[in-house]
Amino acid sequence: MPQHAHPEAMAPSKPGSTRTAPPLRPPQLPFAGRYRAYTLFGWTGLLYLLLGFLALRVVWALGDGKQAFDAVIASFEHPLYIAFHVLALVGVVFVGVRFFRLFPKAQPPRIGPVKPPPPAVILTALYAVWIGVTVVFAAILAGGIFA
Amino acid sequence: MKRLLLKVEPILWLLFGQGILIGTLLLTGWVLVLGIAAPLGVVDPISYARAHDLGASLIGRLVLLALIALPLWKGAHHMRHVFIDTGGGDRDATVAPLLYLLAAAGSLVAILAVVRL
Repeated sequence: MPQHAHPEAMAPSKPGSTRTAPPLRPPQLPFAGRYRAYTLFGWTGLLYLLLGFLALRVVWALGDGKQAFDAVIASFEHPLYIAFHVLALVGVVFVGVRFFRLFPKAQPPRIGPVKPPPPAVILTALYAVWIGVTVVFAAILAGGIFA
Repeated sequence: MKRLLLKVEPILWLLFGQGILIGTLLLTGWVLVLGIAAPLGVVDPISYARAHDLGASLIGRLVLLALIALPLWKGAHHMRHVFIDTGGGDRDATVAPLLYLLAAAGSLVAILAVVRL
């Protein structure tokens, strides 16, 4: 019959030193050294928020009728919108590349008897899916397929 | 509020991760065509009738909902951490609920937007 583990089984043999000082802000924050990419990655959150609300505006207009939908699409011809979308595209690609690079590093050494594929295979598969989804979605939005 | 935020932390991180993954997969084509190529006259955007037909299907509604809501949660969670990094954790009890409320409100309106298609 299995016995319960001792509640202190995992406790250290002697008390460790407790950190009492508050965490210090790295002096390199926000833009020095490797923190530049980290900070820029954080600020892409603002781009995603704005893109989410812009997409909401388009979909809401789609529900309002042809005139409203065409007006929203036409409003994107303003140079400020185009500049924002160019910046947003750079941000989205940056997020994708940075995030997908994490995937191979985040894999467990093995799941049961199965080892994960080599990092290059995982990365190639992710980029293939990304490019595939982008091409199909772009073709739909440009009226190239399902038209 | 802090205890509530800690309790829902796994959900927030899930939405954040999906916002990056699915948001990035969908937003690339969306921005490329509707934000850049169509306004510059490189391609003609999808017609209203076709967009409505595709968007009103079950898959269309789910895709549009993901396209709107997931980036909102990614954005809110990331901006929360930008505020913590730049201003410390003292303001987190105020900033975090505001950002998540913004994402939640946007998500609710997004549900309404795809239901009314």
